[in-house]
Amino acid sequence: MTFTRRASEIAIGILPIALVIALWHAIAASGIAPAVLLPPPGAVFARLIEQAGSRQFLDNAAVTLYRLFAGFSIAVVVGVTLGVAATGSKAVEGIVKPLVRVLAPLPKVALYPAMILMLGFDDASKIALVVADAVFPILLATYQGTSAVDNKLVWSARAAGCTPRRALFTVVLMAALPSVLTGCRIGLIISCIVVFLAEMITSTDGLGYLLVRAGRNFETVDMFVPLISISILGLTLNAAFNALRKWLLRGFAEES
Amino acid sequence: MISIERLSKAFDTARGTSHLALSDISLDVAGGEFVSILGPSGCGKSTLLYIVGGFVPPSSGAVRVQGAAVTGPGPDRGPVFQEFALFPWKTVLGNVMYGLLEQGAPKKIAEDRARALIEMVHLKGYENFYPKELSGGMKQRVAIARTLAYGPSILLMDEPFGALDAHTRTGMQHELLEIWERDRKTVLFVTHSVEEAVFLSDRVVVLTRSPGRIKEISRIDLPRPRRRAELLVDRRYQDYVVAIEKLMDDPAEVRA
Repeated sequence: MTFTRRASEIAIGILPIALVIALWHAIAASGIAPAVLLPPPGAVFARLIEQAGSRQFLDNAAVTLYRLFAGFSIAVVVGVTLGVAATGSKAVEGIVKPLVRVLAPLPKVALYPAMILMLGFDDASKIALVVADAVFPILLATYQGTSAVDNKLVWSARAAGCTPRRALFTVVLMAALPSVLTGCRIGLIISCIVVFLAEMITSTDGLGYLLVRAGRNFETVDMFVPLISISILGLTLNAAFNALRKWLLRGFAEES
Repeated sequence: MISIERLSKAFDTARGTSHLALSDISLDVAGGEFVSILGPSGCGKSTLLYIVGGFVPPSSGAVRVQGAAVTGPGPDRGPVFQEFALFPWKTVLGNVMYGLLEQGAPKKIAEDRARALIEMVHLKGYENFYPKELSGGMKQRVAIARTLAYGPSILLMDEPFGALDAHTRTGMQHELLEIWERDRKTVLFVTHSVEEAVFLSDRVVVLTRSPGRIKEISRIDLPRPRRRAELLVDRRYQDYVVAIEKLMDDPAEVRA
């Protein structure tokens, strides 16, 4: 891909976001919404830059990031392991499949009060909620991807002396990587949403808490700052994940 | 070398009935012999190969390799598939090294041997390419090198040139014979091309339409090394091809 083409792609990606910000600015400037309720984007970004230097804000952002990554990582390990194991073993499949059928459609946020009671008010309950929400898309994508792997890849490995269990992780999982990573990407986006949600519901720190606190105190500019932060965070994580995915899948045929 | 004793294979169909794919196959293949299995599509010829490979269990009967009953895949029997079944996440070098590393060879030795094999299949310079960057013929040469790497005494080839264009196909047939002349491995070669079978083989086993039974075994008494250009004008070659063609389109069987 040439540099100019890449640059124009980025420009096209930024355009709709720029339009939304422009619309926001227009509404704020027109006075339809009073500035106390809808601050202009300029004020929000100015505050964001100001906050980015503040220790207290950075600490809260770090707490959110920690919960996000802890939850997402656990979800990846659990989801991928169970997904691969379900493909490899009829017994595991027999246990995992009905559980997924019952648990996947459940609104996980309904479990949050129970998680707080069991795991306490701190990080553990938030991480648990992230795991509960992110694990299912990862598990399902891994299971579907691994069960669709061509037998002949496994046979080629088995003939070379690879044991069935080893083949499950070194061949089946690797061959299913495109689908596994798609599941992980959905899991990552869900993790971003859920960590914020958990912090908004009950927390004393994190970006979600900052938003709720600002809202309660009628500090509308401060209310928008965490919102923009989490958007930027999501965008950055998505871009990082895509770069990683591209590198991991460099040998696989391009999917459109 | 290989002895197939009264082998039958039935599959369960989606409708809950049983479909007999192979019926009462008995065949002995001597060490260093090149035997082709020929038959109409759906006659179970590939299944027969998979059973010899230990990838699929037989319903009844047995396969013995050098006296030992086949219970699973093993590095003495190397498969080569029509679909190549290369590992997309590995480079050409990685694919060819795979079996050696699985066999516990030190990395340096595995790499040297893999490089020599890559040179032998005329792919020097492509070591760091991914399979998706290669043409069909090149992919199949990588697959053959990957299988030869761990030193199987038997090659199980499942329509290996079926996905290639006619020109590449004849080139690959010559290359295969060159390799075979060099170390005289035992080869079981599944194909639906009569000419390919006659050109390559010491014996051609013709199977009937489903369920596959052995219809006839023809010994091909043509001098080696064989050159296609010479054989095409050789009366004996033509006679073999015509005789086997006639066996293949038996009108009584087409009706059945």
